[in-house]
Amino acid sequence: MSDSVAPARGAETPAPAHETVVEMRGVTKRFGSLAANEAVDLQLFRGEVHALLGENGAGKTTLMNMLFGLLRPDEGEIEIRGERVELDSPRDALAHRVGMVHQHFMLVPDFSVAENVVLGTRSSWDMKLRRRDVESSVAEVADRFGMAIRADQPVADLSIDVQQRVEILKLLYAGAEILILDEPTAVLGPVEVDALFATLRSLAEQGAAIVIITHKLREVTKIADRVTVLRHGKVVSRARRGELAEAELAEAMIGHALPSPPEGEARPAGPAIIEVSGLTVEGDRGEAAIDGVDLELRGGEILGVAGVEGNGQVELCQALCGLRPPRAGSIVVDGADLAGSGPAAFSDAGIGVVSDDRLLWDVIPDFTLADNLALSRVRAGKYSRGGLLNRRAIQRDAEQLLVDYDVRPPDPNALMGRLSGGNQQKVVIARECSAKPQALIASHPTRGLDVGATEFVHRRLVELREEGAGVLLNSTDLDELLALSDRIVVLYRGEVVLEARADSLDVRVVAAAMTAGRGA
Amino acid sequence: MNAQAAQAPSGQRPPGALTKAFLGLGRGSALRTVIDIVVAIVVALAILTIFFLILGADPGKAFKGMWEGAVGNNIAFGQTLLVTSPLIFCSLAAAIPFSARIFNIGGEGQLVAGAVGGTAVAFWCAGLPGTLLIILCLLAAIVAGALWSLIAGLLKAYASANEVIVTLMLNFVAALLANYVINGAWRDPIAPQTETLPSGSALPTILGNSGANIGVLIAIAAAIVCAVLLYRTRLGFGIRATGLSPTAARLSGFGTVATILAVFAIAGGAAGLGGGVEVLGNHHALVEGIASNYGFTGIAVALVARLNPIAAVPVAFVFAGITVGANTLPATTGVSASASLIVVAVFVLTLLAMHVIRVAYPEVK
Repeated sequence: MSDSVAPARGAETPAPAHETVVEMRGVTKRFGSLAANEAVDLQLFRGEVHALLGENGAGKTTLMNMLFGLLRPDEGEIEIRGERVELDSPRDALAHRVGMVHQHFMLVPDFSVAENVVLGTRSSWDMKLRRRDVESSVAEVADRFGMAIRADQPVADLSIDVQQRVEILKLLYAGAEILILDEPTAVLGPVEVDALFATLRSLAEQGAAIVIITHKLREVTKIADRVTVLRHGKVVSRARRGELAEAELAEAMIGHALPSPPEGEARPAGPAIIEVSGLTVEGDRGEAAIDGVDLELRGGEILGVAGVEGNGQVELCQALCGLRPPRAGSIVVDGADLAGSGPAAFSDAGIGVVSDDRLLWDVIPDFTLADNLALSRVRAGKYSRGGLLNRRAIQRDAEQLLVDYDVRPPDPNALMGRLSGGNQQKVVIARECSAKPQALIASHPTRGLDVGATEFVHRRLVELREEGAGVLLNSTDLDELLALSDRIVVLYRGEVVLEARADSLDVRVVAAAMTAGRGA
Repeated sequence: MNAQAAQAPSGQRPPGALTKAFLGLGRGSALRTVIDIVVAIVVALAILTIFFLILGADPGKAFKGMWEGAVGNNIAFGQTLLVTSPLIFCSLAAAIPFSARIFNIGGEGQLVAGAVGGTAVAFWCAGLPGTLLIILCLLAAIVAGALWSLIAGLLKAYASANEVIVTLMLNFVAALLANYVINGAWRDPIAPQTETLPSGSALPTILGNSGANIGVLIAIAAAIVCAVLLYRTRLGFGIRATGLSPTAARLSGFGTVATILAVFAIAGGAAGLGGGVEVLGNHHALVEGIASNYGFTGIAVALVARLNPIAAVPVAFVFAGITVGANTLPATTGVSASASLIVVAVFVLTLLAMHVIRVAYPEVK
């Protein structure tokens, strides 16, 4: 057991209403010399939402993978409804009514909702011959649990949050009563998170036991009936709803007090670095996703871009790094209009990018860390003479950067894809910040990161500002925006509806502008 | 729904196991590659044994004959080397574009184009001294192959034409164009080939009476150049980055158009040089069907070599040995020499199957 276990009144003597459905006792799992879980005890009750809180790599997913039959514990035992079980596969787990929704969805895009839901439980003949029956049986289950999903729609047409609901429905259809959700909110905006939580709450009320794996404190206090905090594979704290405040949970999770948001000294903003005027950018379906926007990013400031997801932030950021040529308007950097130029021109003009989809745009998972760090610099000709690469220089610079930016492992030859999300993001930050950009376009730079890594990224952004660079920060996290930004603009349906200094701004005003498009 | 969400499903769509296996062929450790190749050879031999038994032939006699026919004596060895060189060139023509996730199926036609170019210069500059003539012919072969290949490159870069279809179709066009000059202006009165090239243009031979020529050395040199290009130059870095993540390569500014044109030019140049070497070293004339399927077998060589130009050299040698050795089959067993195609096919399919298994069950060693 761990050194700092908080009193766990609820866990040890459950009230009669608490019917224990899962009991994990002394569960240990090692990977080589690393103990991913060490003597972990966990109880789940019928009808509760249980949060499993911890930083990236604390062993949350490992623990749940054992309950889901993906991994076998080295030591300890698992009981489900009082029966000792050996789970060899997710199929076994499902037979015991345990289901899991992974971070990356396992859906067939070309199949309909109904086909995805029944996949593996019925023969494909059945699916083709009795489509109506299958669809109505799926729709019936969806209705029973109050989930608004049309069974005949192809999954490819659904938004992320609805896809997630399909994943949950899949488990319910298969009869799962113990639901595990791995970082369910990582892909969702604030509104969708509320909807998900409402669904989870109603499922719990109907008798399900739900585990959400998360590192977001806000969510724990919002939805969880009980919380178990893991650090370095051990349980360090347990609490019931209302027993612990966010700050205490954070302390348990990271092992020391929560760092306060970094504050640079306020200094007057410098000259304009990027001047955007009359910018109109098309979305994927040809609509004007950004419609006639004027914007100015100055040196020495962090400009926060707020908005509900899908109001043009992606298109704006992609236009500002050359990925999406605008339909109209100008993007002036250093006196030259770069509208219509490609990413190379923007990069050469000293504009760095942290995109909203790291694995798609920022890194190459099958390249080494060294090559990922060198990516845009090789393109700019920094590491080559007469076309020949100086591999030694690439290697040397990478070693230095990995240490400076605390990437683990600090091995330049490791493959990017092997790193955790947080460390991948550190590599991206290292590459973009060390290039000394005059402006950085950062989209959701802390999405999916734990508290420690988030704080690290925030510090680097503030440092860039101190050095006189302009930072455009696109985030859906209002707390982050208000804590870091000097100025905030709110995008609503592709237009700037509010622009104001951040220190004079009330969060409610921003929220109103985001949701209703009302400016101040 | 918002644009990002609508985009996500297609963006996150996982590639199928077969696609993954194909892409995976360009990666992985050297040890695994060797293990895979050994297993594939064993499986291929086993299947071939069964095949021989069904046909009532003696497998031991057949394999012994194939071995001797491939490397049993100096002449057999020379024959194998003669087939090795075009296979190396064509595997490079596949490996470089494949590294950028561009599928060049046109090695066949690019080789023919190079052969025509080399032949033309050999006739036009017949009076020049030998070495200079050879160098000019080979340069012409490279240029002709590259230009031919760039037809597909330009269509892909500027009109988004699917390179698989364009290069495949151009194979037929190249073969027919070659037949046109063979049966037209340059025709030999008695044979389906052009007149014999001026004697000064013949490539120097190596290994005594083996019949082999320096073409195989040129091929090895080309493989080394391609390896340096792929792993040690800025261009190669961009090619590999584009192959592994077209999106990330684009955001970091590597130009899509430039990459496409470069890989097609290099691929066509390599295959074209192979055509030149065939003409100057092997046939001493432009003959019908000069490509002899090398373009397609070269793709298999490149895949087995995991797109590594250096590894392509030994793999091409093995493939050439199987092909040449199989020529003994009619004499030793009465089985058609095209049995060699079965060996090669089983070999490649086994390798591919092993990758699929690895992708599907990553925990299996």
